Amino acid sequence: MLGINRSRTLVSVLTVAGLLAATACGGDSGGSDGGPVRVSVWAWYPEFKGVVDAFNASHDDIQVDWTNVGTGPDQYAKLKTAFTAGTGAPDVAMVEFQQIPTFLILDALVDMGQYGAGADEDLYAEWAWQQATDGDKVFAIPVDGGPMALMYRKDLFDQHRIPVPTTWDEYATAAEKMKAVDPDAYIASFGSDGGWLNGLMWQAGCRPYGYSITEARDKVKIDLTHPDCEKVIEFYGDLVERDLMATDPFFTADAAAALDSGKYWTWAAAGWTPGYVAGSLKNTAGKWAVAPMPQWEKGADEHGDWGGSTFTVTKQADNPEAATVVARELFGKSEEAWDIGLNKAFLYPLVKDVAADPAFTGKAYEFFNGQKVNEIFVPVSEKLGDFDYTPFQDFVFGDLLDRCAEATSGQREWDTVLDATQKNVVDYARKQGFTVE
Amino acid sequence: MRRRRMTDHPVAGALFVLPFFLVVVAFLVVPLGYAFWLSLSSKSLALGEQFTGFGNYTRAFTDPVLLDGFLRVLVFGAVQVPLMLGIALVGALTLDAVTTRFAIAFRLIAFMPYAVPAVLGALMWGFLYSRTFGPFADLPTAFGGAPADFFSADLLLVSLGNIVTWAWTGYNMIVLYSALQGVPREMYEAALIDGASQVQIAVRVKVPAIRQAIALAAIFSVIGTMQFFVEPYVMSRFAPQISAGYTPNLYAYNQAFAYSDFHYSAAISFALGFVVFVAAYAFVLSTRKRRSS
Repeated sequence: MLGINRSRTLVSVLTVAGLLAATACGGDSGGSDGGPVRVSVWAWYPEFKGVVDAFNASHDDIQVDWTNVGTGPDQYAKLKTAFTAGTGAPDVAMVEFQQIPTFLILDALVDMGQYGAGADEDLYAEWAWQQATDGDKVFAIPVDGGPMALMYRKDLFDQHRIPVPTTWDEYATAAEKMKAVDPDAYIASFGSDGGWLNGLMWQAGCRPYGYSITEARDKVKIDLTHPDCEKVIEFYGDLVERDLMATDPFFTADAAAALDSGKYWTWAAAGWTPGYVAGSLKNTAGKWAVAPMPQWEKGADEHGDWGGSTFTVTKQADNPEAATVVARELFGKSEEAWDIGLNKAFLYPLVKDVAADPAFTGKAYEFFNGQKVNEIFVPVSEKLGDFDYTPFQDFVFGDLLDRCAEATSGQREWDTVLDATQKNVVDYARKQGFTVE
Repeated sequence: MRRRRMTDHPVAGALFVLPFFLVVVAFLVVPLGYAFWLSLSSKSLALGEQFTGFGNYTRAFTDPVLLDGFLRVLVFGAVQVPLMLGIALVGALTLDAVTTRFAIAFRLIAFMPYAVPAVLGALMWGFLYSRTFGPFADLPTAFGGAPADFFSADLLLVSLGNIVTWAWTGYNMIVLYSALQGVPREMYEAALIDGASQVQIAVRVKVPAIRQAIALAAIFSVIGTMQFFVEPYVMSRFAPQISAGYTPNLYAYNQAFAYSDFHYSAAISFALGFVVFVAAYAFVLSTRKRRSS
């Protein structure tokens, strides 16, 4: 009995000591011993191991230690904890475009401009570079994006002689015709996705946010009630109310099944979608096609972006200069990395030369019955204009989607969604110490 | 005499206590103290950190989102906890009365959902509720109704309640069943001789005998309800109707890990802890009083 107790005590003492030791030495080690500099990277790109291997094989002085700590919000939660704690963050972190100002206001990101990253300006799509930088400060290196276009069931549109919509008015008409043909079908789903809704608003000319940390840390523009923003919510709200549009959240099994069964006829999708759909929709492969986004005015040529990500260097990096090299060159001009990025991870490249390369634009997709869909996506990315985000975009998207959810369940009129969000966001911003324009 | 012997080996005694003490200090006292310290200051995104005393608590107790969420879990608990404990009690009494091989198998099966991690359980139910894949959504059509949307604003609390009930009823059943095992069998014999039926024995003898265990199960259930998090967190990917402040705990999580406001999050957590403590204590007091009267 005594023996058992003693060994148990010993075990618990050792456990405590081990845990304390483990928490004490959580940092990363630099290359001060003469070996290569080790740079830690957090990212959740698919097939990323090959990209890391390619980098490590082509660099002797810098080696990357990659960890996937979770997708999107999961990784951000860990990053925010690490920045609040002052320790535990990686040297380089994958961050989506809409999150860059959020991490800037946490004083989390290094200006890579001081290590020469400004030289990369011409390499990347202009809209992406604009979002990644502020003046001559480079806070992020673009990797992939999501220029938007309309995915539609070509076979069903052809069979029922419904013209492919070129304007949103025609889209609504197509939705009515589709409902007459198949009462169980929907033109698409209003997917409860902040980035998606944002892309649609972007395309409508809505520029609801303005923020520049170099101009004024505590000044932010919130203009969600602008007519160009309102028209998007009201248009989609009307489709939902008339039961022409479903409300399944994207990327759920239900939404995938609906896309793959003829329940949804279209999806306003992004440059990375071809990879996603080819992997998850098997029944309807070959029946889809891509068309340019319907326009708000006939003959216009306006576009939006849904999604996309960058590499940032964190202020906790031991060697920010080496970390900048990693951020710039993990993808950058690396042919090997982009071969994996395009053909295995199905990223939409923001490196202009990679996007313009015939190997990308000329790629025929079986899923789209041989259509070279990148011929549509690439010009969209070239035409995209400037778009800013707030330094609290999680709050904005969260509130906007919560208000939309109230509208879909009938607790709120659609035309009050943006008024309510505007009010909540402005209140929140003021409480956080911002001057709101 | 006894007291002196206990202080005979103060060092050895302290050494025996030390591991436990260290664990408690390192993983309970220090984090709690740190969280409380965090809650006493505010950090706005633009202005930085400043000491605000109990300002965060004033904000918490007047925050409509938090109060809405709190009201929601109260309503949820008022229905779900009695329902779950009722089923668990009936199950435990049945198990106690029936001693066939079937009862042993049933005991194991009833307990199984508790062994499934809460995240997996919520994900699994997410699929079972699905209109495309789930077997339940189309049930109302058999009676001429419209298919059920388990993620709609109307049904959401019921859907969540079902998951929690599924996961915890078996656990509570086992707790109550174990308590029943501790009741002296002579009491049942005496009741039988007095002419009581099996149902009367169950209601008049067994239930009062395990009242303490029932109270304990109730307290744990109430605390669990107040801390409602995993199921709504997981289900929010299926159900956009689950807002950022759907439950107080979910709100605290979002404040910290989405909006980077660790200070306010700490205050919400402490306020919630305080309310849970008061509620649990009041419950214990009321059951104790009833017993002594």
